[in-house]
Amino acid sequence: MNKVSEKVDEISAQMAATSVKVSSARPAPQLDENVIVSIQSLQKSFGDTEVLRDVNIDVHRGEVVVVLGPSGSGKSTMLRCINLLEVPTGGHIYFEGKDITDKKTDINKLRTGIGMVFQSFNLFPHLSAKENVMLAQRKVLKRSKEEAEAIALEELRKVGLGDRADYMPSELSGGQQQRVAIARALAMRPHVMLFDEATSALDPELVRDVLGVMKDLAREGMTMIVVTHEMGFARDVADRVIFMDGGVVVEEGTPEAVFDHPQNERTKDFLGHIA
Amino acid sequence: MESRSTAFGFLAVLTALACALVLAAVAASPAFAMETERWTAKSNQDSGNQIMGGTPTRVTWQGQSAEDESVATVSLALPEGTVVDAANVAVTVLDGLERLDFASAVTTDGAQVNVAFDEAAPAGAMIMIECNECVLPPSGGQFPVAGTYTVEGGAAQDIPDGGKTIDVVGTSAAEQMSKWLAAQPAVQAWNSVKFLHLFLDPTIAITSVPAVFQGWILAILMVIISFPLAIPLGLMWSFMRMAKNRVLCAIASCYINIIRGTPLFLQIYIAYFGLPQMGVNISGFWMGIIVLFLNSSAYLAEIFRAGIQSIPKGQFEASRSLGMSGAQTMIHVIIPQTVRRVIPTMTSEFILMYKDTSLLAAVGVYEIISNAKIITAATGNMTPYIVGALFYLVVTIPATRAINHMEKKLADGGRKRKKARAQAEAAGVIESAPVAMRAVAADGDADMTLSMRLSESFAVSPEGAAYGAEKKALRHKARRDSKDGKGDPRE
Repeated sequence: MNKVSEKVDEISAQMAATSVKVSSARPAPQLDENVIVSIQSLQKSFGDTEVLRDVNIDVHRGEVVVVLGPSGSGKSTMLRCINLLEVPTGGHIYFEGKDITDKKTDINKLRTGIGMVFQSFNLFPHLSAKENVMLAQRKVLKRSKEEAEAIALEELRKVGLGDRADYMPSELSGGQQQRVAIARALAMRPHVMLFDEATSALDPELVRDVLGVMKDLAREGMTMIVVTHEMGFARDVADRVIFMDGGVVVEEGTPEAVFDHPQNERTKDFLGHIA
Repeated sequence: MESRSTAFGFLAVLTALACALVLAAVAASPAFAMETERWTAKSNQDSGNQIMGGTPTRVTWQGQSAEDESVATVSLALPEGTVVDAANVAVTVLDGLERLDFASAVTTDGAQVNVAFDEAAPAGAMIMIECNECVLPPSGGQFPVAGTYTVEGGAAQDIPDGGKTIDVVGTSAAEQMSKWLAAQPAVQAWNSVKFLHLFLDPTIAITSVPAVFQGWILAILMVIISFPLAIPLGLMWSFMRMAKNRVLCAIASCYINIIRGTPLFLQIYIAYFGLPQMGVNISGFWMGIIVLFLNSSAYLAEIFRAGIQSIPKGQFEASRSLGMSGAQTMIHVIIPQTVRRVIPTMTSEFILMYKDTSLLAAVGVYEIISNAKIITAATGNMTPYIVGALFYLVVTIPATRAINHMEKKLADGGRKRKKARAQAEAAGVIESAPVAMRAVAADGDADMTLSMRLSESFAVSPEGAAYGAEKKALRHKARRDSKDGKGDPRE
C-alpha cells in the first residue's frame, strides 16, 4: 500500500515539475523589464478552503502598491506567496524574471532580494536590535562582522533607532520593534519590500513612526507591496491601490480612482464601512 | 684466578651449612620450653563473631610452661596501640585441672602487660592471663603472640607464638563516634523514644553516613556521566521525530514511545538479566549508565521537541524570509531560544534521573539505597534510609531552587543589555537620552527596565502625558503577547 502511494506521489511530483517546466519556458519573454514582481493566475488553497482563486498583479520597479480588502480576502496570503512562505497551489510568480514556484530556483537566494515586514514584528528575542539586523547579513550574505555592523547601525539610524542598537527587543516598544524589523529587512538590500499589515498590531501613536519610515522608503524609490488598513497612507503614498475580495482582485487603479470613484459594489461597500 | 674463586665458593657453602645447623638447633629448642596454648579475643560485634578494633573486648593468653621450668614472670606484648588497664587483668595458674592460689603483681607499660609471681609457679603449670576491657587498635590487623617470660633466676626468653593470631577488624572513626554517642545519656534518652530510635537513631545515622556516602558518589557519577551523553542523543531523536522523512520519524517515534511507555525498572531488568545472557558483560555501574542514558534520551527528546515547537511560527518565517536556510534558522534562531526555554525542564529531568538511580538497587548496584539497606538489614533500624533520603535531598533541593530561579529569570525577560548599561555608565550621561534615562545612568541598575520604558514614552509622545503613554504601551504589549500566544493570525 505504502509503495503504491509513494509511487503515486512520485508521479504527481514529476507531472508537477514538467508542467512548471513547460509553462516557465513561456512567459519570460513577455515580461516587461520594469516588472519586478509578476503574479499570474495565482491560486492557493488550505485543504478545501480556497483562499486565492485567480490573482494577477504586475508590480513595476519603484512602484508602491497598496493592497486593501476585508479580512479573509486573501491579501496576506497573496503577499506571503511572493516569497514562498506559502507555497502556491497554482499559477506562477515571477520575481525579476525568475519563477519562484520552480523547484530549481534557489529560494534562499531569491528571498534576500525580497524584504518582508510582519504584523507581529518577529524580531529574534534573544538578539539585540543590532544583532537582529546583523544576523542574516553575516550568515546569508557572508558579510564581515565589521561591515554587517556598520550597515546595521546605518539602517537603525535611518529608522530613527541609532541609540537603541544594543537594546533587546523586549526593551523596545512595538513601534520601535517594527522599525528594527524594517531595518533588518533593508540591511539585506532588497529590491522589493513586502509589508504585511505592519501597523495593525500597533497603538495609534506608535503607528505614525512606522508609517513615517515607510513613507521615507517610498520616497527613496523602493518598490513596495503594502497590505494595510491605513487608508490615509494608501491615499498619500500609493501609486496604485488594489482591492481584493474573495481571493481575486476586484478593482485596481490610482488612489484617487479607487477611493473617490470606486466602480465595484464590494469596493464601495468596504470603503463605506471604513469611512 | 679461577681456582681461587672455586675455593671461595666452597667455603661459602660450608659456612651456610653451619649456619643452618645452628638455626635448626635454636628452632628446635623451644619444644622443651613454654608453649602458647591459647591466644584469643572475645567477639564484641553486635552481630557476627568478629573482633572489632577500638571496642572493649577480652584478650586471653594461655601458656603451658615446660616440665622443667618454673616461671617467675610473664610479659605479654599486646598489639601496638592497645589500651589495657592493669586492674582489669586476671591471672590464673593451673596445675592440671587444679586451680592454684598464686599471688601476682600486674603492671602495664603501654600495650605491655607484665605479670610477676610472688613466688615462681610450679614447673609444668598452665598460666592464663585474661585482659578484660581491653581495647585493641581501631585500625585492626592480624596480631601474633609476642612477649617474654623468665624462669626463676634465669634470663628472659621469648614466648613462642605457636602460629596463633588474633584477627582484629578495623573500625572507622564513625563507628567509634557511634560507640561514644551510644554511651551519652542524652542519646540514650533520645533513643528511649521508639519513633526517634527507629527512624532517627544518631548512633546508627553516624555509622550509615560513610556507606551511604559511597553510594551517593556512585549515583552522582552515574548521572553526571550519562546525562550529558543523553542530551545529544535526545536532540537527535527530537530532530528525527520532527523530520519530514517518514522512516526517520517512525524510528524515533517508536523509540520514544517504547522507552517512555515502559517503566525504567523493567528496562533495567531487561538490560541486567538479558544482556549478560547475550554474552554482553559490563559492570553494574556501566550498565546502569547505559540504561539511564538510553532512557533519559527519550524523555529529553520530547522536552526538546516541545521546546522547539513552542517557538512562534513567526520566528521561522522571519528567519526564512531573510534568506536563511532551514539549518541556519535552526542553529541561529530556534535553538538559542529553545535552550532558554528547556533548561528548567531539563533540570527536572536531571532530578528525575538522579532519583531513578535508586531503581538500580534491585540489580545489585551499590548506590544509596543498597548501602542503606545493608545497615538496616543488620540493625533492623530505619535510620539508614533517612540518611539516604538526606543524600538525595542534598542534590534535589538546590536543583529545584535553581529551576525556580531560572524560571523567574525567564519570566523577567531574559538577557538584558549589559553593554549599553556599561557604556552609559562609562560615558556618564548619554547626551541624547531623555531625562529618565539620565536618572538611570546616575542611579545604576535600580528600576532599569521601568525607567527604560518611561524614557521611551517620553520619546514617542513629545506632547507629554508620559504616564498615559506608558500605561498604553504596557497594555498594548499585554494585548500583543496574548495575540502571539494564539499563533500567527492569517487573514
